[in-house]
Amino acid sequence: MTVKDAVYQVNEVAHHYAVEPVLRVEALAIPQAAIVGLIGPNGSGKSTLLRLLGFVEKPSRGEILFKGRPAAPFSKAVRFKVTLLSQEPYLMRRSVLKNIAYGLGLRGSRDNLRLRVAEALSWLGLPYEVFADRQWSELSGGEAQRVALAARLVLRPEVLLLDEPTASVDAISVERIKAAALKARDEWGTTLLIASHDWQWLYEVCDEVLQLFNGQLVGPGRMNIVLGPWQARPDGYWQKVLASGQEIVTTAPPVADAVAVVDSDKIAVVDAIDSGRDGKNMLKGTISRLVLEKGSRNIVATILVDTMPFAVMVPPKRVESLNLCPGREIDIYFSPNSVKWIHQGDNTHPNKSGS
Amino acid sequence: MDFILTGFRMAIELLLHGDAETYSAIFATVRVSSYSMTVSLLIGVPLGFVLGYLRFPGRKQVRVVVDTLLSLPTVFIGLVVYAFLSQRGPLGDWGLLFTLPGIAIGQTILALPVVMALSASAVENMDRQLRVTLISLGVNRRQLLLSSLWEVRHGILAAALTAYGRVMTEVGISMMVGGNIKWHTRTMTTAIALETNKGLFAMGVALGLVLLAIAFAVNLSVSFLRKRV
Repeated sequence: MTVKDAVYQVNEVAHHYAVEPVLRVEALAIPQAAIVGLIGPNGSGKSTLLRLLGFVEKPSRGEILFKGRPAAPFSKAVRFKVTLLSQEPYLMRRSVLKNIAYGLGLRGSRDNLRLRVAEALSWLGLPYEVFADRQWSELSGGEAQRVALAARLVLRPEVLLLDEPTASVDAISVERIKAAALKARDEWGTTLLIASHDWQWLYEVCDEVLQLFNGQLVGPGRMNIVLGPWQARPDGYWQKVLASGQEIVTTAPPVADAVAVVDSDKIAVVDAIDSGRDGKNMLKGTISRLVLEKGSRNIVATILVDTMPFAVMVPPKRVESLNLCPGREIDIYFSPNSVKWIHQGDNTHPNKSGS
Repeated sequence: MDFILTGFRMAIELLLHGDAETYSAIFATVRVSSYSMTVSLLIGVPLGFVLGYLRFPGRKQVRVVVDTLLSLPTVFIGLVVYAFLSQRGPLGDWGLLFTLPGIAIGQTILALPVVMALSASAVENMDRQLRVTLISLGVNRRQLLLSSLWEVRHGILAAALTAYGRVMTEVGISMMVGGNIKWHTRTMTTAIALETNKGLFAMGVALGLVLLAIAFAVNLSVSFLRKRV
């Protein structure tokens, strides 16, 4: 992808609050009209990355190109094109109608205002006659979230950034929000970036899922993260012992509390103990879910080893031959040499710090 | 107890019969408080916004100074303003001593820290997501400022009401800078002080009740306004 094709090009961006570094992205390109998911634990930097890409904040270092040109908060190139729906959306102290019409007013686009607000509300399943005149304080959490999204969709943005859009809302709101977000991409070619803990949804809808950990992009969303600390073994390997007594074995970490990253492509599902392997990292787990990945058409199996989830890529034929289904016990295997490392405070990209 | 009941009766009579002296004091009070409130809001709200919104070196120290000024004694303000406006003072040539604008200067000094401190608090308590939301919807810097100000309008209204309460009820500045001159600089509070000194408690109570009625009317209007916006 060339810089011209990318809606975003992130170069050597680092961001910190006070002196605390919260994000570092060496390079990232987001293609136009793509749906990109961001996953990662709380505090991994997802919201910060979205705020930077939404040009709400300026990165402490580095630059973000929007359609090949440097952009910053309030710049004309992005003001009316990029919009962010934050995790706890704020509705202004006015009616639903005025909240949704606010962005249109800023753009001086007041034609058929009520009609357009009604249309935006309908995308989210909110009848205009019921909600238009309601005050911000008269909405439930799910309704407020839907109104906030309607206020963005009515602008028909080129880029829509959604930060945990389905967190803390009811099931009906979740479905409405998901459908409306996808409508933006399908009908107007809007580029969507979605941060969510809903892996299943992200795998289903996203062209690409990126994983963040400790303020760093650790690769595609199928990376498995195993936290330290690690203990040295007599055979030169290192290990983490799980509550059930199973051992995760790795090569020597850079520091004892380093974080191990295992690509899901490197993990195999086995139907019986394979004597051909060295016996390390044969882990017994239970399948918790199977999700069809949009791009590869492979199936991502989530396998719980103790309480630790491992995402494993499984070709559909193998799922069929092994009769994999949620609830079934299964063994997985990965080589200790396939583990890559990151550690707290280190900004080394795992792909550059092999074992 | 009788003088309190008599005071109630007299208050109604004074208002209904259009007692000239009472109305002169009411007009003087309303005029002088309008001057001081206008100036203190025009200066205090923007400064309070800056104090609550921006992070700049020395902000905490400025905040401490403003908070300290909340407890400025009115007699001290009266004394300082008197010193500045008297013939021997640096602003003596302005000829503002014993005038309503002179009192208004003192009352502005009284109200300004109240408006600033409470506006700054309202802005500080503003939801941090408001800024993110406004920028996400496409505001420019000016629109960000105005919309943020509009979102904290109830807090600023409360600041204005609190300051108005202090200005309306102060006596030290009006007495020292205004001189309590009948038909000229006599305000409600200085009239009450005078009547009480003369032993006319009922008249004092009556004027106090009128003052209370004005405060009630202002609060009622603001409450109505708050529901509308």
